[in-house]
Amino acid sequence: MTVSSPAKLLPRNISALRKGRDPSTATRTTLGNPISTRLESGIGNFFPGLECDLRNLERRFFPFLEVDTDFTNIVVAAVDIAGASAAASDGTISTADLENYRVIQHDISRGTRWSVSVIDGDFGPLGKQTVALSNLTGESFGTGRAPPDAWVAIRLLKEQSLVTLTLVRSPGPGEISLSGARRRYLEDDGALSRVFEPGELTQSLCSPWTHDFRDCGCFYWASNHPDIALPPLPDASTPATDPKWNLDTAWERADRSLPSPPVVTIANGSPEVPAGSTAVLEMQHHEINRDWQLLNFVLERRERIVPYDPASPSAAVPFADKDALLKQLRYAAGVELAVMLEYLSAAWSLRRDVNALPPDLRNDVRSAFAEIRRIAIGEMLHLRAVNDLLSGLSGPAFEPALAVASAIPFSGPGGFRPLQFRAADPATIADFIAFEAPSQGIDGLYARILASLTAGMGTEEQIQSVRALISEGGDHFQTFLFVNEWLGRHTPPSMYLVAGGPADPGASPEHGALQQAYSDLLTALHTGFKAGIPAGAATINAARASMLGPTGIEGKLDAIAAKGFLVKFDALADPRFSPIAPP
Amino acid sequence: MSAAVPIGGRDAAPLMHRFRSTVGEHLLVIPYSRIFDIENGADLSGIDIESLAAPGDHDDPLDRIDEPAPQSISLNVSSSCNLACHYCYAARGNFGGAQPAPMAWPTAQAAIDRLVQGANPAAPLTIGFLGGEPFVNRGLIHRAVTYAAEMALQRRLDIRYSVTTNGTLLQAADIALLQRHPFAVTVSLDGTAGIHDLQRPRYATGKGSWADAVAHVAPLLAAPGRAKIAARVTVTRNHLDVAAALDALAGLGFPEVGFAPLRAGPPGSGALRDEDWPGYLAALVAASRREFKRLRRGLPLRLTNLAVALKQLHKGAASPFPCGAGGGYFSVAASGRWYACHRAIGKTDYELGTNDGLNHDLRRDFLQRRHVHAQPECQSCWARYLCSGGCHQEAGSRSAASCDFIRGWLSFCLAAYCELGNERKPRSGIATPTPEEALS
Repeated sequence: MTVSSPAKLLPRNISALRKGRDPSTATRTTLGNPISTRLESGIGNFFPGLECDLRNLERRFFPFLEVDTDFTNIVVAAVDIAGASAAASDGTISTADLENYRVIQHDISRGTRWSVSVIDGDFGPLGKQTVALSNLTGESFGTGRAPPDAWVAIRLLKEQSLVTLTLVRSPGPGEISLSGARRRYLEDDGALSRVFEPGELTQSLCSPWTHDFRDCGCFYWASNHPDIALPPLPDASTPATDPKWNLDTAWERADRSLPSPPVVTIANGSPEVPAGSTAVLEMQHHEINRDWQLLNFVLERRERIVPYDPASPSAAVPFADKDALLKQLRYAAGVELAVMLEYLSAAWSLRRDVNALPPDLRNDVRSAFAEIRRIAIGEMLHLRAVNDLLSGLSGPAFEPALAVASAIPFSGPGGFRPLQFRAADPATIADFIAFEAPSQGIDGLYARILASLTAGMGTEEQIQSVRALISEGGDHFQTFLFVNEWLGRHTPPSMYLVAGGPADPGASPEHGALQQAYSDLLTALHTGFKAGIPAGAATINAARASMLGPTGIEGKLDAIAAKGFLVKFDALADPRFSPIAPP
Repeated sequence: MSAAVPIGGRDAAPLMHRFRSTVGEHLLVIPYSRIFDIENGADLSGIDIESLAAPGDHDDPLDRIDEPAPQSISLNVSSSCNLACHYCYAARGNFGGAQPAPMAWPTAQAAIDRLVQGANPAAPLTIGFLGGEPFVNRGLIHRAVTYAAEMALQRRLDIRYSVTTNGTLLQAADIALLQRHPFAVTVSLDGTAGIHDLQRPRYATGKGSWADAVAHVAPLLAAPGRAKIAARVTVTRNHLDVAAALDALAGLGFPEVGFAPLRAGPPGSGALRDEDWPGYLAALVAASRREFKRLRRGLPLRLTNLAVALKQLHKGAASPFPCGAGGGYFSVAASGRWYACHRAIGKTDYELGTNDGLNHDLRRDFLQRRHVHAQPECQSCWARYLCSGGCHQEAGSRSAASCDFIRGWLSFCLAAYCELGNERKPRSGIATPTPEEALS
């Protein structure tokens, strides 16, 4: 089913990047840091900027001097005498220059001002010039133009080019000339130059930038300023799987308690809270300014108060050969099919006569049913995706994978539980959450598959396909957390379960009808998958239609639930669909 | 001034080379050494390779020959050596009688003056000291460095120094000089003590020089100051164990160790033969794989050959010449004659000028004849702008087997570059280029 498509070239080294595409788009993510933390992606469109005060980039433009800059003045704020002395002793600067640095330091330590009056250097696009700051007018145009102002002048100076400054003492008299290389902004590895002190680039941001975040309940800000976040885990040993740690809270909440942070609830229709706002009491502006140190860093949506431990890149080992990869894929297809059956059983264990229920319960049961059904349909899409992968990797020998897994990954690597048909009580939902949780069942199922494809067994398209499967597991995990929250409000579970009773014994006509429809479905899918696209499209579409609505499998499920039975699916005798064990 | 050497047999000259690594399939665009990942399968028919292989805004055309003002010189300061290495290309410094006496100060001074007069003051300048053993003439080295450093201070130049030494004559004052100035110090040591003593005996006694060299270099290794120190190993066909030599020298405290196979030498010197190249490649690869393990533990690379290759691939280095000989680099003999290469003192076809100036016609002719496009056997090779035909002095010993070694080594480095790049180890210096790098 694979179709040869034109190769796509992605530049890898510097010369390819220069030739291949706009280098400014070639950002790359670093573990733990969103792209928006890179300086060049910050909202720094003008000074002082929102992420950093760009004027501070020029504070150390000249060796051993730290300057304060505005449009008209460049005033020496400090002198790095230790650095200058070291440079003099190794011959980088002359002893005369060292003495000049000492004079400036001595004077400014006594309140006497030294400022730059003339800059001689290479001003990049404006060329080499000798610029007297007093002559700058704020405008810059025409041939041979000078920079408009002092700040722009030093910003334009070419990195590492020779610059000569004339500095004047105030009050006079006093004049000193110093030469040195204009410092670089960035090191060779792209990091900020080491001359910048920690915090220096943000030091002159004014506090309104911080408390402005409080007012903008929107997505205007870069992603490192989320409006809402998950609460901090109180210590490194607390797992994030408990639903209480997966409920959104407001970063600026006034209640900073750790064990039970307040939860964000959209106040739909509540008269106390304006529509669209959150029902969490926020810190006031002055409180944010005063207590900023109480605000937490947010990484990967969660506030962090303990050292961040980035998830390691997958340590999964690729399979030794394609045969082993194909075996795991066939099992993965079986797991997708198995959990889909479990989810259907759980969904149809919920009461369908929702209009007879009190409003709160009605809404929660209706939502839970819709979401579990949606996830079951999602697993069918996964089944198709895995079969596409198998088809692409197997070539003409492809045999559709439609055998139901007899055991489902559970409790981390190497753990399994048997396929079970259970009502949607809290224990069952907890198992579903555990299976779909990040780095648990679904990740483990696909980790080695992904590693193998990435290591050269698959195409980029196939790699992305598996990444999508893993990613959608994250969506299912989140959704089951919601289901758990909705149903967990109501006890006992019999309030919302229709099928607290026994499973269908298997002899009822309703069960027989379901089994027949189930068998027909798999047979049709086998035919459609085997034929591939486009030849099998019509068959696959018909199979899909056979699942939905009152005349489809859903109707059969309704019929069983209406009799008060729990839905179950018997293993099929057809060898194509008989249970498959983990490899 | 510039001239052009078009590539002959253009249709036969490949523009791309496809290769695989464990992270996928890749494409090397041969001109300008551009490396791409290939996605979406095998069909490259839609790729506009001519466009990908064309020079970009930052690139100098590869068929062009420039004659820039020299930026680096080496001074052949001594004409003798206290060792008698079997493979020495310089006949212990007198180059078969071409350099019978050591360099005198006026000659060195004139060479430095000429370098500084012509060089681009905004770029680094390099003055190297070679021989024989340079420290036989230590007075000249000290005087030359003092003179050049003063000039650098006055004119605000970035002057750097290099020296290749056997280490045995280093004294405290020499070490202080090397510590005080930006020196690249290369110490010739042939790996383990036994091999070194066999290959690098003392001239006077015939006894080994290992212990003496190690003892004299130790203080500099302990406190290098501004010096960057590396060991250089000459690999003969008798001793191909790169990893053992690397361990021995790293164990002494050398942060970097480079290996150079002996390609040509007097009879019995152990020059590699065609049948030896696969073994040498295997040894180099095995040592490199061990370095990768260090890299994954956050430790720096020690094997210079590997580190340089990865950095060059990362940058996309591509050149029609294997070195700066006759271009940005000249070697000054004790006579004051300027040769294109320090190994060619006394060879008339490498003599391109004197302290009074360079001969433009001779220089252009030298460069044209050695341009990789002028080497018929290189034109169909995918590695032509990475290897550039190899050392001019050793071109005569080039064979299919030695070229296979170059391609094998580059193939290994290309794959390793892609694999390590995916691991995103910043210390390797070869992660995906940043936009700043690409724009710089």
